[in-house]
Amino acid sequence: MTQAKLISALVGGLLLVAGALGILESGAADVFLEATRPDFQKISLGVVGIQNAGGPDWLGGRIEEVLKKDVKRSLVFDLVDLPSLGIKVHSLGTGMESGARAAFKQAAENGVSVLVWGKAGLKEADKEADVNVEGFVYDTGSDEVIGGKRYAGSPSVVRLMAHRFADELVFRYTGEPGIARTKIAYVAEHGTARELFVMDYDGYDARQLTADGFLNLMPRWSPDRRFLVFTAYRNRNTQDIDMIELATGKRWTVISLGGLNITPALSPDGNFLAFASSHEGNSELYRLDTRTKALQRLTVNPSGDLSPSWSPTGRELVFVSDRGGGPQLFLMGSDGSNVRRLTFEGDYNAAPVWSPRGNWIAYVCRMRKEYKLCVISPDGQKRMQLTTGPGVDDSPSWSPDGRHLVFSSTADGKSQIYMINADGKDIERLTFEGTHNSAPSWSPAS
Amino acid sequence: MNKTLCTYGLVLIMGMALIGMPGCSKKSVQSGGDSQATQGMAKGGSSGSQDSPKSGVGSFPDTGVQSSGGGLRGLDKNPSEERVGGGTLLAKVDPSSSAGRQMDEIRAEQAASAAAGLRDVLFAYDSWTISEDGRQALTRDAEWMKSTPSAQVKVEGHCDERGTSAYNLVLGEKRAKAARNYLVELGVGANRLSVVSYGKERPSCNEHTESCYQQNRRGHLVVKTGK
Repeated sequence: MTQAKLISALVGGLLLVAGALGILESGAADVFLEATRPDFQKISLGVVGIQNAGGPDWLGGRIEEVLKKDVKRSLVFDLVDLPSLGIKVHSLGTGMESGARAAFKQAAENGVSVLVWGKAGLKEADKEADVNVEGFVYDTGSDEVIGGKRYAGSPSVVRLMAHRFADELVFRYTGEPGIARTKIAYVAEHGTARELFVMDYDGYDARQLTADGFLNLMPRWSPDRRFLVFTAYRNRNTQDIDMIELATGKRWTVISLGGLNITPALSPDGNFLAFASSHEGNSELYRLDTRTKALQRLTVNPSGDLSPSWSPTGRELVFVSDRGGGPQLFLMGSDGSNVRRLTFEGDYNAAPVWSPRGNWIAYVCRMRKEYKLCVISPDGQKRMQLTTGPGVDDSPSWSPDGRHLVFSSTADGKSQIYMINADGKDIERLTFEGTHNSAPSWSPAS
Repeated sequence: MNKTLCTYGLVLIMGMALIGMPGCSKKSVQSGGDSQATQGMAKGGSSGSQDSPKSGVGSFPDTGVQSSGGGLRGLDKNPSEERVGGGTLLAKVDPSSSAGRQMDEIRAEQAASAAAGLRDVLFAYDSWTISEDGRQALTRDAEWMKSTPSAQVKVEGHCDERGTSAYNLVLGEKRAKAARNYLVELGVGANRLSVVSYGKERPSCNEHTESCYQQNRRGHLVVKTGK
């Protein structure tokens, strides 16, 4: 399936859901036509199993579980339940044995496009320091084992091995790098302090990045995934924008102009930092050339302007302004030209983030007094609400493949972090520990 | 001396060095409506002088994407072994003494503010207008400040948990400035007042109830201690 086809299929799927739920509030005629296009089909994939070959008891099962969840979350594959189709083979060896041939035939007859299996053990018996994982992929279309992977590493990285294998599958079938190895940066409460953390995209392996005992807010990734920019408070009195290098923990201040300095966002090429600052009075948007250090003011308005988010081309910004009363979304060229209002429904629309595919802008909308997630197309023609119910939803951030959003919500009481498909389906809670987890930011794909 | 302080020091030196660069001296358009607001604003700690705010720009590494593909090597019919390493992306956090120092300073501020009997000013939902009750509280606060001419006061703007983190920081700043401006109207010297917004990030109450929300929508006055 080509990338273009996938994108149109994804949009089609989105619209279909939105139409069925009756939550589209504008552009309904256009949408209805697109929703009738039935060309979105996921690739059906079955995970036969990851056999344990001499390692600790949990090894094969752990890898299989992580792999299956990754495959399901990719939204590229439809994870089929093989036993329900009568395919019960536990291992297919290298795919050359006669038992394997029978399983392939069965899969083809049941419309399964891809079979995946493997084994996991110790590289050398008695040496638990080194785990060996092998995976194989059979493709019904070409009727052959199209290839496999062999990974080695310590038992502490088996989740990462499964993530890598899942991303290889996505890469093979879409040409995209997959999201299974992406990370999510976020803010967690420690006492009264709020510190930065980074976890895997599935909520595992959280690591603390800051420990200064006060507020560290709203992290955003650099395009190369090596740094985060975020809002910090020097001596609790002055807001700065800081940068931290993940590999070393080295941290420094990049913007300290006085006043409020918030919502930093690096351009897709890393050459500009857009941010809001009140150092000249009220909160305005600025653009810093990160090479020449030239600072350009983008907005001139007595109201509050904040939360810039770059279009994937870097040519435009979506941002929040309360120049009309309550906060609304506006668009402008990345040089501050051609400002126009994007949202007109509701009296509170904020925290916009431009999809990496460019076709949607996700944001927080106040609907019936609740703060929920909405998406709107950049031309303003299509709009839908993704979440419903009680709880304050905040800080949406797109997955690099544009198929998911991560956000914070108080739906379960304390603020926690959740993942949701771009069509509003499959909400998955990612954080369970602590009194407050918020401001998630999804890393770019590697 | 810990690492964090060293880093800040280094950044400060870099920041100072940048004052002379042509790009930094570029003047921006002045804002219209709220320009008096910068007057009493505290410039953080030891940062650059008041009249050259563009000194506050630090160094930037090249963050553009150098390569794509992300180390995926593709499926292979005869796969060679790939070693998977963990933990290389993230350094262990450096346990700094900063957290303990912050706690001590916060406690000292709280004690000084309680001793002064400073009152909070409360705000309505979505609003930064000072109410009649708020005026009364600030009038008392202004009297204390006039009778204690050495005191420096920080006005913190806070919000309830509803709304976005980012917009609440702007709303909190509007509240802090509204309270600060009223104190100045009452005759308190603007140079004795600073403002800071904490948005919804430092709530005084954690329940999801209207009475709790009301407590959190506040302008909180803090007596600065130490430097």
